[in-house]
Amino acid sequence: MSNNKTPEQLNRRKFLKVAGAASAAAGGLGIGLWSVESGKDPMSHTGEESFQGATQYFNRTKFEVDLPPYEKIGPTRRVDARTEVIFSRIGRLRQEWDDENGIDGLSDDLKAYYEKHPHYLKSDLEYFREVLPKWREDRQKYQDKYVLTHAWNNAMGSVWPPGIPDSEPPEIADFPWTAPGQLARKYKMKSPEKTAELIKQMAYQFGSTLVGITKLNPDWVYKHTMRNRGIDVNKPLDVPEHWEYAIVVGTPMSWDPFYANPTYGSSRESYAKTRIAAYRLAAFIKELGYAARPHTPAGDYDLMVVPIAIDAGLAEQGRHGVLVTPEMGSNIRPAVVTTNIPVKTDKPISFGVEDFCRTCKICADQCPTGAISTEDKVEVRGYRRWQIDISKCHNFWYSNLGNVGCRLCLTSCPYSRKSNWLHRGAMKVSANDPTGLSHGILTDLQQRFYPAPDAEKYFIPSMGGSNASYRKPPHWLQVDEYIDFSGGAK
Amino acid sequence: MTIITSGLFWFILGILFCIALVGFKIWMEDRGVKMVWWKWGLTVIWIAFAGFAIAFAGVSIGENEMTAAGMGGLIFGIAVIVSGFIFWRLLHLGKA
Ligand code: SF4
Ligand code: SF4
Repeated sequence: MSNNKTPEQLNRRKFLKVAGAASAAAGGLGIGLWSVESGKDPMSHTGEESFQGATQYFNRTKFEVDLPPYEKIGPTRRVDARTEVIFSRIGRLRQEWDDENGIDGLSDDLKAYYEKHPHYLKSDLEYFREVLPKWREDRQKYQDKYVLTHAWNNAMGSVWPPGIPDSEPPEIADFPWTAPGQLARKYKMKSPEKTAELIKQMAYQFGSTLVGITKLNPDWVYKHTMRNRGIDVNKPLDVPEHWEYAIVVGTPMSWDPFYANPTYGSSRESYAKTRIAAYRLAAFIKELGYAARPHTPAGDYDLMVVPIAIDAGLAEQGRHGVLVTPEMGSNIRPAVVTTNIPVKTDKPISFGVEDFCRTCKICADQCPTGAISTEDKVEVRGYRRWQIDISKCHNFWYSNLGNVGCRLCLTSCPYSRKSNWLHRGAMKVSANDPTGLSHGILTDLQQRFYPAPDAEKYFIPSMGGSNASYRKPPHWLQVDEYIDFSGGAK
Repeated sequence: MTIITSGLFWFILGILFCIALVGFKIWMEDRGVKMVWWKWGLTVIWIAFAGFAIAFAGVSIGENEMTAAGMGGLIFGIAVIVSGFIFWRLLHLGKA
């Protein structure tokens, strides 16, 4: 270095040297951290991300609570699925109703139910008298538009583990028999903690995206079940002793069709994935010699899944009545495996959803039928919870020209945004805000920045709508891109 | 994982920002502005804010949420320009 530099130039050189050294040190540290991270990042297991638990990234510890975020406020009562679950009720109404005898022609329990809830009778009858005829009329006109999504939906549901046989009661169906009267060897597990770790890893292996474990609260088991599954629906069910724990698994619906609900999304897609994961998990537990019984979509449940998933710390209940998880918002289809394998349970979580839902109401605005209340929680069978009008909801599912269902409340929920830094960040702000101030701001931003069609546009044309979807379908579900209708089929 | 979402991207970005800040300091000195701790604080806050505005618009475009990209880009963009103007005046306080 020559000596003819001014003092100022020398200072600058010195500074640049220090800055260079600092950059090098920071860079070295950065490379070190990055290389360690990239080496252990489960997202680097190509194609297996969801089998490694990588998608259950939310650290629940800080948000754990001793009691679930719903309130027990009176004597509780278990669900009579024969009347209180819409699928059973409407199936029975279809079989038993005749215009001449009206409500007097119904079975005693169904008649008593409708006498107590006359608005459900009106709404359930509307399904047969108005919704179905209009749906049939529009289906003739518009069905070609939905050929690809119907085909995709049906294909996704074509691999479907068969249900529990009607002839096998739980004390037979749930246990690992090697021969009549002979149970398989029961392996002694090291500890409930290790069993929980093993079960969660296996649940991911079997295709579940989220998994949580809880003690089964008998209040969530149907008093009268909705399907036989080895249990007589007309006899009250005593909760079997071996339904001691409930393991909740769940998978999301594919993003792009989910974002094009109600017409292009598919419940069945994720029902199949969740059902397969639950059946595999039950089979795995039975291989270890313990009892296990899957309760899965669609309708093969002997219990209510939503409160069990809340007890298991996977989610809170949203205003739309279903789950809001930290990772996938409401984009989740859950199932339960009841078992007697001794296993450590998870704690419920409270990450601000209850408070957020009080101000938000976006799902209620988007619901085409007004099934989601804008009012506060109500008492249902001894618990305070959000409650929707399932009859109105059901009628919309079956007026849809795309795949059966609606799912708009799941799609429009601000918690159901993509899993990137922006939406994860917003969710964390909301979860960590004890004042609730951010909830109003985030709701407002959601409404302004992510506008959606008016709710009535989602109806089919004969019901005053325009078959709208929340967002455009992905190209691979658009018939114009792939199918030539010039032969006249259209 | 692409290069953009990898740690290497952030590593390179960090080096670039370091060099940029060195250049900024020299440039401010040439304008007779001495960069003291609170001025660095303002500069870093503004850079983070400007980065957020760009990233917000970018991620929204990536999500095909054009309303969010447009409205967010406009609102945050204006806020970045206004705050940049204010910060710029503050940086020149006590100019030699
Ligand atoms: S699924 Fe559709 S109809 Fe049912 S509550 Fe949600 S938005 Fe309303
Ligand atoms: S849309 Fe809003 S009100 Fe509805 S469940 Fe989601 S956060 Fe709650």
